[in-house]
Amino acid sequence: MKTTLTVGMALVLGAVPAWAVLGQYESSVSLDQQALRGELRQEARQGYKFHQITSPNGTVVREYVSPAGLVFGIAWQGPFMPNLQQLLGSYFTELQTARSGVRRRGGPLVVQTDKLVLVSGGHMRSYHGHAYVPSLLPSNVSAEVVR
Amino acid sequence: MTLRNGWRVTWGRFLGVVTALIVLAGCGGGGSPSSSTSQTTANNTLAVEVNLGPANNYVNGIFATVTVCVPGTSTCQSIPNILVDTGSYGLRLLSSQVSVSLPQTTQSGNSSNVLQECVTYADGSYTWGQVVTADIEMAGEKASAVPVQLISAPNTGLAVPSACTSGGGPNDGTVDMLDAYGILGVGGYPYDCGDGCTSASSAVSPYPYYICSTSTGLCGVTSVPLANQVQNPVWLFPQDNNGVVLVLPSVPAGGQATASGSLIFGVATQSDNALGEAQIYATDSYGNFTTTYNGVAYSQSFIDSGSNAIDFLDSATLGNIDCSDNPGWYCPASTLNFTVSNTGYNGVGQGSVEFSIANADTLFKTGFAAFNNLGGDSGSSIATDYFDFGLPFFFGRSMFVGIAGTTVPNGVSAPYGYWAY
Repeated sequence: MKTTLTVGMALVLGAVPAWAVLGQYESSVSLDQQALRGELRQEARQGYKFHQITSPNGTVVREYVSPAGLVFGIAWQGPFMPNLQQLLGSYFTELQTARSGVRRRGGPLVVQTDKLVLVSGGHMRSYHGHAYVPSLLPSNVSAEVVR
Repeated sequence: MTLRNGWRVTWGRFLGVVTALIVLAGCGGGGSPSSSTSQTTANNTLAVEVNLGPANNYVNGIFATVTVCVPGTSTCQSIPNILVDTGSYGLRLLSSQVSVSLPQTTQSGNSSNVLQECVTYADGSYTWGQVVTADIEMAGEKASAVPVQLISAPNTGLAVPSACTSGGGPNDGTVDMLDAYGILGVGGYPYDCGDGCTSASSAVSPYPYYICSTSTGLCGVTSVPLANQVQNPVWLFPQDNNGVVLVLPSVPAGGQATASGSLIFGVATQSDNALGEAQIYATDSYGNFTTTYNGVAYSQSFIDSGSNAIDFLDSATLGNIDCSDNPGWYCPASTLNFTVSNTGYNGVGQGSVEFSIANADTLFKTGFAAFNNLGGDSGSSIATDYFDFGLPFFFGRSMFVGIAGTTVPNGVSAPYGYWAY
């Protein structure tokens, strides 16, 4: 409970430490779990590991871990947008590259760079999306698993 | 004003205070209206226009004028350039465009504790501001004491919580950014959050509602009773309150400078909003249905007048038709024609629709606002989850939106609301 209090305080005051999940080691998953105050489910799959965190606010976050122990993908679904800054860590800055030209209104956000592929979509009360780091995809694992 | 609605406020935990049951004072929204039994017939038709919006850069923006009043008074203001959005729920107004003084929702006994809301949209942009109440008048219809979001201009009022900006997109609190004076959410839900925001245990960031102290500037997420959530004003009309019909004319393949249409309140409540030949497509509990294309079912599809394109699939899958200078838009060398099949929740509603996608760059160069063939991506090169049938899909149609929980015409089952076209 004490940990939760500290995390809550950090969120409120904006003094967020390095959240870093995507591209980080598996241990960062527990940081997400704390931030989301969620229930964690884990399972081993062919060529990677899978964690699913369900937040009391209804958001489900899935995290995909390579045999090297790195989080190579995340996916989300829920009534609100997740905290992408927290989930993407250092890859968050890649989002800016998608915002140029005629503005797309009320639609999805799709980012495809060498470093990051991200899709965010849906509408009020139903948001979903996924992101992965192409260079961290384990061999013999398709990006299709991140969803 | 009467005291109403217990409020369990979770920010007390953050401040090391025992979480207490706090009572909210204010002019909350009314309870569930009964179905239309009124003997009188209201003028239920509001004019809408597709144009470039007040900042002159909203392609396929659809706008109306909405009148807001201080609750229970004749102190009113008509505000133009309000985006008509079937992909959201509730009225949101830029505070910079509102001159009447709308009362803010506060905690009883502590008026320095105010209710604020952050909405982060799928593209990462956000609106942040106070929850206030207003009487809302559209055509001959009136909803009383409706909770409304008053969107703060950037760097005014209470600081934006970090979770609110965590989508990485812009603050849409100015006319230049929103390219509208507000958003009228008339999609198929009564509330912008609903039961998901009423329990204290659900109030875990990121979360739309905040309680903020105007004396300390601190904000924390909070649950909110249904009556105080921002809500679809149509649902609070005394009649014609079970949905809307958005009617737009056909436009030529090359686009049209502007297009005029109607937002009709009510579904099958008057002679002007009968279903006629329209087929009902039930939505699931998330407001979605299934679109099937090339044998693949995309189960989280939706219809959204606030999206300015038909967003689906990805450029690589469609033969590398991305626009070189406008990322995300489609620029095929020649117009592409699509036939897809839509299936409602539990199979209620089944039928195919056709649409075309033309070269967005070519269309943009016309300077026109209304296009029925603008497209963009909704995914990467791996399978996506949905088709977003944006405003192009509305031209030449009467699009019915049925609000969840209302009686469904024709007696079909659509517990979570429906589309009909």
